[in-house]
Amino acid sequence: MESFIESPRFSCALGGAIATVTSLPGVIPIVHAAMGCAGNLNSAVYFGGGYLGDGYCGGGHIPTSAVTESEIVFGGAKRLESEIGNALGLIEGRLFVVLTGCMVEIIGDDALACVKTFRDGGSPVISVSTPSFTGHSYGGYELVLEGIFNDYFPAGRKKAGKLVNLFGLVPGYDPFFRGDLAEMGRLVRALGFSANTFFTPDQDFRNLESAPGAALNVLFSPAWGLGFAKRFEALHGTPYWVTNLPIGAAATDLFLKELGRKLNVSQKKVENLIDDENKNYYGYFLRTADVIAESDYKFYAATVTDSAYAAPLGFFLQEELGWVVTDSFVTEGLSEGQRLAVGSAYGASGLGGRLAFETGASQIAKRIAGYQPKGKRGSVFDERVPFFVLGSALEKSPCLKAKAKHLSVSYPLYDRLIVTAGYAGYRGGLRLLEDVVSSLVSAKA
Amino acid sequence: MEGKYYGQKAPPVRENRLNAGDGFAGKCCASLLESGRGGLLTQTCRDFWQGNACQMSLTLMMATTIEKAAIVLHGPVGCGSNMHNLGPAVHKGKKCRGLVPAPLRWLSTNLTEGDIIGGGEAKLMEAILYADREFRPEIIFVVSTCAPSVIGDDADEIVTRAGAGTRARVVLLDCPGFKSRVVASAYDAFYHGLIRYLPLEGGPGAGKKGLGPADGARAVNVFNSTSIGQVDEAEIARLLGELGLRARFYAEYSNAGKFRGLTGAALNVSLCDIHDDYMLGFLWQRFGMPYVMGGMPIGYGGTRGWLESVAGPLGLGREAGEVADREEGRLRATVEPLLAGLRGKRVLSVGGIARVMAVSMALKELGLEPIGFHAYHYDDTAIPLLERTQAELPDLPVAVSSQDFELFGAVRKFGPDLVISHSGTQGLLAKMGVPAIQLYDVDRPCLGYKGLHSLAKRIAFAFANVSFQKRLAAKARFPYNKEWPKHDPYGHIKTT
Repeated sequence: MESFIESPRFSCALGGAIATVTSLPGVIPIVHAAMGCAGNLNSAVYFGGGYLGDGYCGGGHIPTSAVTESEIVFGGAKRLESEIGNALGLIEGRLFVVLTGCMVEIIGDDALACVKTFRDGGSPVISVSTPSFTGHSYGGYELVLEGIFNDYFPAGRKKAGKLVNLFGLVPGYDPFFRGDLAEMGRLVRALGFSANTFFTPDQDFRNLESAPGAALNVLFSPAWGLGFAKRFEALHGTPYWVTNLPIGAAATDLFLKELGRKLNVSQKKVENLIDDENKNYYGYFLRTADVIAESDYKFYAATVTDSAYAAPLGFFLQEELGWVVTDSFVTEGLSEGQRLAVGSAYGASGLGGRLAFETGASQIAKRIAGYQPKGKRGSVFDERVPFFVLGSALEKSPCLKAKAKHLSVSYPLYDRLIVTAGYAGYRGGLRLLEDVVSSLVSAKA
Repeated sequence: MEGKYYGQKAPPVRENRLNAGDGFAGKCCASLLESGRGGLLTQTCRDFWQGNACQMSLTLMMATTIEKAAIVLHGPVGCGSNMHNLGPAVHKGKKCRGLVPAPLRWLSTNLTEGDIIGGGEAKLMEAILYADREFRPEIIFVVSTCAPSVIGDDADEIVTRAGAGTRARVVLLDCPGFKSRVVASAYDAFYHGLIRYLPLEGGPGAGKKGLGPADGARAVNVFNSTSIGQVDEAEIARLLGELGLRARFYAEYSNAGKFRGLTGAALNVSLCDIHDDYMLGFLWQRFGMPYVMGGMPIGYGGTRGWLESVAGPLGLGREAGEVADREEGRLRATVEPLLAGLRGKRVLSVGGIARVMAVSMALKELGLEPIGFHAYHYDDTAIPLLERTQAELPDLPVAVSSQDFELFGAVRKFGPDLVISHSGTQGLLAKMGVPAIQLYDVDRPCLGYKGLHSLAKRIAFAFANVSFQKRLAAKARFPYNKEWPKHDPYGHIKTT
């Protein structure tokens, strides 16, 4: 029995699946659940994902069976059938994905059978079982990828050769998913390959269709999508590479070298790219160094993020800013195996902080408060001052109280609007630098 | 009539108690009245639906405002997804009311597959005890959702047992989403929890019926709601103050102590007929407290009618008329020039049934042309307002709809100049290229005379520059196929 959770920073499998489907081009969700699920779960990222908004068929557009007591008692299959039929007639999309909520799973509705009728009739409808009690939003992302790329698209497609798929960032629950994917896509393209980023506005349904022909799947997550990538490889013959999302020049240099090896790109081409990118990156960074050094912007720091961001963010703070990372809180629920994988990715980054799997806002707040001077005269021997927390909006108020600096970079993130911002790669590293230092100098006016 | 529900474990839903329904389209309020009060809407459904809120989400909106309360959400982890939006909203709501804002303290019982099979009761008990220990709240709201309801968890039993050993009062709010398509059921679910698990008398001042200890003014309880901001409360307090009445606001932004003083007022006053009948009926039955439900104080007529409804039972009818005369005289002079160039603009109103009717009548008073409304639901508490609206606007087409595709179709078909609409639809309307304003906004006055002035200002401001909407409309894509706007927007509403 998993315990209760304080202010969880994720929703259920259905919530992650809705966020994923509504961020994919041409893909339409049909939520087989009670009336509120689609709306409530959508608003989790609408607000909490840096005001991600509704998208093409998100928010109040999401078709739902809106089951009531009578469907719970007598079964919801008929209602679902009617919903699918009418959605096909009313909504324009390339693929319709039925997602199931807890109440219809408990009563045993057979969504697959419903969908089969439509599939047999030639309609592009699939069903992905996403009951909330089997996992949370990160698992929901994985289930949708599995359903679309491994179950729906036929195996045995010809390889397109120079194509790379990018996976691992969960829409909305990673508020920077678009900016990060765009930058990673840019770098892959700079090596002479095409990149499927799927979730950025430049993509369309053809990118989904071409995915099985890719030469490599890059998975920017130590904890999520591994099973999906393995099955993808077995079905479509595309090898996968699990790696940290690189943030800043130090990490991205290493990433590009390894990616070049995986894709058999000439060393010279990779080095030229790295040189060009570094010239640009440090052309900006070096001028920023003046204000950082003059103002003594050096901090003890803690990060509060999901597992995909923990090591990369810590690495940037430690390596590029020379800060001392005391804690990296990983906030999404993970299995033992996933924790080990996250731990080893963290260790491999050479990070000296303490990796903690904790989502409770008050527990994290206690830890942060513990670093502040205590006692009547504020004299202690183990204080960590000055302190900076890169976490979610939930950390803002405890940080104010503990006189620690704070920047929202993780879910729930509702004190910033995130549009093109991402922290991955060279451009993302500079963006992070800009956001961190801006948060410090903003106190001057 | 409702008496039978108060003693039950679970609150009723409005479909059963009040003939509630959420699908209808007709020529005028009279046609809705005829179908609604006859129970026809309970037999209505759609063959296509889109996602919306549920009674749980609105119950949470109310519960999160209560001071020194913690929340235990009993369900799978996703049911708490709205809490991250409610946190900042409540923070602001507390701050502007002079209360101490504190981070929302809440737990999810995080029901997993094993709990679904074995039951979630033990976990619920554990979470309640932890919340009591860790957060030291005065009240713990246990919000029970779909999954525990389907598997048969006895949350009432757990709450009662846990409550015997906790420092906090433990209040069950039983509001599984699938039990009602009408989110207004949430109001009853929340009030039912207060009624069943909290002491509502015996606090300081509770016995002094109607006399305020501080200023000698007569106290009246005014029932607020999530859509009513502090600026509206201030306006209502100001108007009641003119009558020598002291307004005490319930139930949002209250606390355990304030609830114990609930009975110390001369009168219970509703600001929205749809919101409060369950609670006010109970307070009448249990404590003999008289109450009034006089519509919403929106517009000249609406505000005057509401003021008179409060003043009447207290023998202040003449004074209320004088206040309304004075305020109206002052306001007309400032409002008239604001809308000078906008007379005859055609306006569609969308949202809660009480508000869309009140706003439609206010629009007529301002010289604009209401062309219809989408009410999010119907139930019998709307009857008096429907009768009044029918008298004022006999040919006003009406729909009962909370559906985006119907709103999309209606806007395309009827081409309003302006839409006054509930939050959650503004993005859609902007992308459709239609000027729109919020039906309510907790940061700006919407009620009383200040509210009417603000409404006129906001309408004029909406027309002042529509470049944003126009540019969006040129680029936006909608998921509906090209044929949809040619069809009857309400064609998917069916009778079972």
